[in-house]
Amino acid sequence: MNDLLKKVRKIEIKTKKLSHNIFAGQYHSAFKGKGMAFSEVREYNYGDEIRSIDWNVTARFNHPYVKIFEEEREMTVVLIIDISGSTFFGTNKVLKSEIITEIAAVLSFSAIANNDKVGVIFFSDKVEKYIPPKKGSAHILRIIRELLMYSDINATEQSEIQKGTSFSEPLKYFSSVIKKRATCFFITDSFGKFDDSSLRITARKHDLSVITVRDKREYTLPKIGLMQLKDAESDKTLWIDTNNSKQMKAFAEFRRKQDEETEMQLKRLGIDNVTLQTNDDYIKSLMKLFSSKN
Amino acid sequence: MFNSFSFNNPQYLWLLLSIPLLILWYIFFNKKRKTPVTYSQIEAFGSSKSWRIKLRNLPDLLRLLIIILLILAIARPQSYWSYSESDKEGIDIILAMDISSSMLAEDFKPNRLEAAKAVAKDFVEKRTDDNIGIVAFSGESYTQCPPTLDHSVVKELLSKLNTGQINDGTAIGDGLATAINRIKDSKTKSKVVILLTDGMNNLGSIDPLMAAEIAKKFNIRVYTIGVGNNSLAPFPYETPFGRQYQYVEVRIDEKLLTEMAHETGGKYFRSTNKASLKTIFSDIDKMEKSVVDTQVFQQKTELGLFIILIILVLFVVEELLRKTLFNTKP
Repeated sequence: MNDLLKKVRKIEIKTKKLSHNIFAGQYHSAFKGKGMAFSEVREYNYGDEIRSIDWNVTARFNHPYVKIFEEEREMTVVLIIDISGSTFFGTNKVLKSEIITEIAAVLSFSAIANNDKVGVIFFSDKVEKYIPPKKGSAHILRIIRELLMYSDINATEQSEIQKGTSFSEPLKYFSSVIKKRATCFFITDSFGKFDDSSLRITARKHDLSVITVRDKREYTLPKIGLMQLKDAESDKTLWIDTNNSKQMKAFAEFRRKQDEETEMQLKRLGIDNVTLQTNDDYIKSLMKLFSSKN
Repeated sequence: MFNSFSFNNPQYLWLLLSIPLLILWYIFFNKKRKTPVTYSQIEAFGSSKSWRIKLRNLPDLLRLLIIILLILAIARPQSYWSYSESDKEGIDIILAMDISSSMLAEDFKPNRLEAAKAVAKDFVEKRTDDNIGIVAFSGESYTQCPPTLDHSVVKELLSKLNTGQINDGTAIGDGLATAINRIKDSKTKSKVVILLTDGMNNLGSIDPLMAAEIAKKFNIRVYTIGVGNNSLAPFPYETPFGRQYQYVEVRIDEKLLTEMAHETGGKYFRSTNKASLKTIFSDIDKMEKSVVDTQVFQQKTELGLFIILIILVLFVVEELLRKTLFNTKP
C-alpha cells in the first residue's frame, strides 16, 4: 500500500506537471463543451454584432448593451480502459498496462485541471469496474489508485478479473450509463474487434477517441531461435521458430492486416485514433491526437 | 578363434532400469519446468510448424542416448577373441612295406600290396603332425621316402611302390634295420616302425630279432602286421595260356613277428582281409596318440574408451545443436 501511495504521488507529480505545462492550451481548446453559457453583459462597442444586443438591459439603461457568452466548460471525460490479459506484456522496461495507466492519469489530471468530471470504465471481456464521473482531486486520487491496482499484474492475477477482451461490452455499457454527451478515450492494446453497431452508436452521441498501445515485439521478433509462448488471454502454448522467416513473415502480415482493418473501420466511422508503442513518448502521441481534433 | 563381447561389471547394467523413470520424469516434470514466455496474442503466429519445432526434442534425445552409453561404459564392455593353440608334438613313423612277389596274392582285393597301400594312405592322411617315411623291402631293402611332414610326397611315393623292383625274397631284418637307420637319430619323443609282411624271413644279412633289439636300444616301437588269409591264397602267374592261379599255403612266421613286437614294446597284428587291415591301422593310430598341449588364449579389448569417445562426440554435437539450430529461449 505504501508502494502504491508512492507511485500515486509520483504519477500525480509527473502527470500534473505534464498536464499543466504542455497540455494546458491544447486540451482546453481541443475539447469544446456542449453549447454556450451566458456570462455577462457589457456596453456596446463599435463592431459588435447587433444580434448579440440584449434589448431588455438596453431599454432599462437607455444605452446599448451586448450579451457575452462563454463556452460551457463543464465537460464529462470518460476513460474506457482495457485491463485484459494481453496488456500485461512489454519488453521495453514497462508493460503496456503501465503505459495505459500513465496515459489515463495524464488525461485525468488534464481533465481535473479544466474543472471537468472524470469517470472510468475498466473492462476485460466484460465491464470489471465503473467509477462514475465526478470532479475534485479526491476523486482523481481514487481513480489513480484504481488504475494502479488494475495495472499491477500480481494484484489482477489474484483477483477474479477475466483475461479475455471484448470491445462491444464496455461500449454498450458506456452508452447506457452516460446519458450526457461526454468525451471518451478508449485506451486499449487493440487485440479485440470493434463491432460496427456499438461503435457507431457511441460515436454518434459522444466524442470518441481510440488510443492503441502496442509493444515493439508485437510487430517484430529478434532471431533468437525456438521459443515457447503462452497466450496471455487463453493460456494456450505454442512453439515458434523465430529463425524461420516464413513464420515471421506470416506473423508480420497478420499484424499488418489486423491494424489495417481496425484503422479502416475507425476512419469510416470518423473516430480519431492514435497508435503508440511502449518505447514511444506517449505525450507526443497524445498531442498528435489532440491536434487532429482542431 | 572367435570374436565375442561381454561386460566386465554387468551389475551396473541395472542402472538402465532408471531410463524409463528418466523418460517419465522428462515428460511429466521437466516440460513443466520450462515456463513459456507470456505473449499478448499467439494467434498471430498461425499454426505452421517448421522442422526445427518438430525436431526440438532432438538434443534431449541425444542426452538420453549419452546417458545410456555412459551406463554401458560403466559396465566395462570388452570384446575378446580367444584362440586355442594346440601344441602337437609329432612322432616319427616308418612304414616298412613288404614288396615281395607274394604280395601279389589276391586274397586281399585287388591284391595284398594294393590293399596295404590304400590303407596306408588313409593312415598317412590321419597323422597330420607326424614325420612319415617309407621303407620297402623284399630280398633287399631301400628307403622309398625318408621321414617327412610333406605327406603329399609320402602318398605319391607310396603309390609308386611295386613288386619286382628289387630281388625277390623276404628280408625282414634288413627292412627293419633300414627303417631304424632312418629314425634312430631323430629327437622326437616317440619313434615307431610299422612293419607289414606276408611271409617268413628267408633272406638278408640281419637277423630280425637282432634288428628288433637294435630298435629297442633306440627306443623305437615296432608294430608288426602279418598279411594273408588263414588257408590258401590265390597266387597269379602268367602262362602262355593266360593268367593262371595257383593256390599257395599262407605261411607267416607269427612267432617271430610277435616276438619282435613284444621286444620293442609294440604289438603284433594279424590281418586276414582289407577291413581288418584298416582296423589295425586305426588301432595303431589310437595307440600312438600324439601329445596334445592345448592352451587357450583370450585377448580382451576394452571398448569403454571407444564408447567414451562416442559420448564425447555426441555431447559436442548435442551442445552445438542446443546453441545453434535448436537454440531455445528462455
